[in-house]
Amino acid sequence: MNYRSFFKAEWLSLLRRKQDTLNALLFFIMVITLFPLGVDPSSEFLAPAAGGIIWCATALSVLMAVEGMFKEDFNDGSLEQWLASGLSVTYLVVLKVTAQWLMVVLPLLIVLPLLGQMLFLPSEALATVMLTIVLGTPALFFIGAIGAALTVALRRGAVLMLLLILPLYLPVIIFATGAVRAAQLQMSFHGQLAILAAMSIVALALSPVMTAISIKASVN
Amino acid sequence: MQKSVNLQVRHLCIERGDRELCQDLSFSVQSKELVRIAGENGAGKSSLIKALLGWLPIEEGQIEFNGEDVTLHRHSLLQNQLYLGHNPGIKTVFTALENLRVYCPEASEDALEEALTQVQLSAFAETPAAQLSAGQKRRIALARLWLTRKPLWLLDEPFTALDVKGVAALEHCMEQHLAQGGAVLITTHQPLLHLAPKVVELSPQ
Repeated sequence: MNYRSFFKAEWLSLLRRKQDTLNALLFFIMVITLFPLGVDPSSEFLAPAAGGIIWCATALSVLMAVEGMFKEDFNDGSLEQWLASGLSVTYLVVLKVTAQWLMVVLPLLIVLPLLGQMLFLPSEALATVMLTIVLGTPALFFIGAIGAALTVALRRGAVLMLLLILPLYLPVIIFATGAVRAAQLQMSFHGQLAILAAMSIVALALSPVMTAISIKASVN
Repeated sequence: MQKSVNLQVRHLCIERGDRELCQDLSFSVQSKELVRIAGENGAGKSSLIKALLGWLPIEEGQIEFNGEDVTLHRHSLLQNQLYLGHNPGIKTVFTALENLRVYCPEASEDALEEALTQVQLSAFAETPAAQLSAGQKRRIALARLWLTRKPLWLLDEPFTALDVKGVAALEHCMEQHLAQGGAVLITTHQPLLHLAPKVVELSPQ
């Protein structure tokens, strides 16, 4: 095994298991379509709330995708093979999370303009929403990877993982929606974007190491 | 290419939970040697291999590989070994050939197919592993042994779910590996057909 063949295999297995990716996307679309039906379909309510609705749906669908990301690798013994491969598990985690991120976030970005219209999201704020998703979701994925690796050996780890992970998702959601709101008020939102990017970079730097340690602890 | 292996384990003590799996265990694995870890179910045979790989903490003892102390950093040991555990890391969404290609990216297509022929899976090269039996999945993983150049093999129960023909083929492969200067550390309950291993006994404490 080398890094290239590993990434190719990860990508291929994500493509083969399309339904998982589609689930996250469908969930995202459903939350956004059901929200106006349940609360208030008027544009006066939806336009200011759109950023928040989109971000909550994003965070939940990322959580869905991330929750079981190591489950199958654990069950079929792949995690042991990662550790035994002599490659750095830290880098393997980066590659795996990157593949997952591309697979989940790209479809979200593609359907987003349409969903934005449904929520009366002003077109000048749409670009900001997309930017916050590109800059903020890597943090969600990398933080989620730690929780997924920690709880992979537990039979009912999903709830514990939610408890571990959700508090760490809050700052990302707060700053992302803050940026969108600032954009809608025609204020400067670069500060929030910078903080989002910083959170993703810190997560990229710390999470793979911690995930690798968790994987090692989960395997034995 | 001549392979050389010199794995020295000295005064090893492993605990799992509150149980002591082994105490003051010393053995060595050298080139051309087949070493079998023997013991009852639950005696800690798999745990011993995991401890060697560094996944279980070692209470006491020293592990040396090719003259280098690897007790703290297993890197050079990991680089030179091939481990196959109870779950051999076969992805059900991939075909037999794709599974093998992930683990042996430098092997040519011909070599991959030849390896699958050796484990009698050539007819299933393009079949998704989800449709294969447990024994066939295990044989995909074992096909790696025909392709690898790693000198030390750590095989945890490699014969489970294999038929007689499969066992014979695997033994033949191990024999060739040993003749080239490789070494094999194996756990198995099954008596080997024509290879005489050195035995390391794990007795319950």
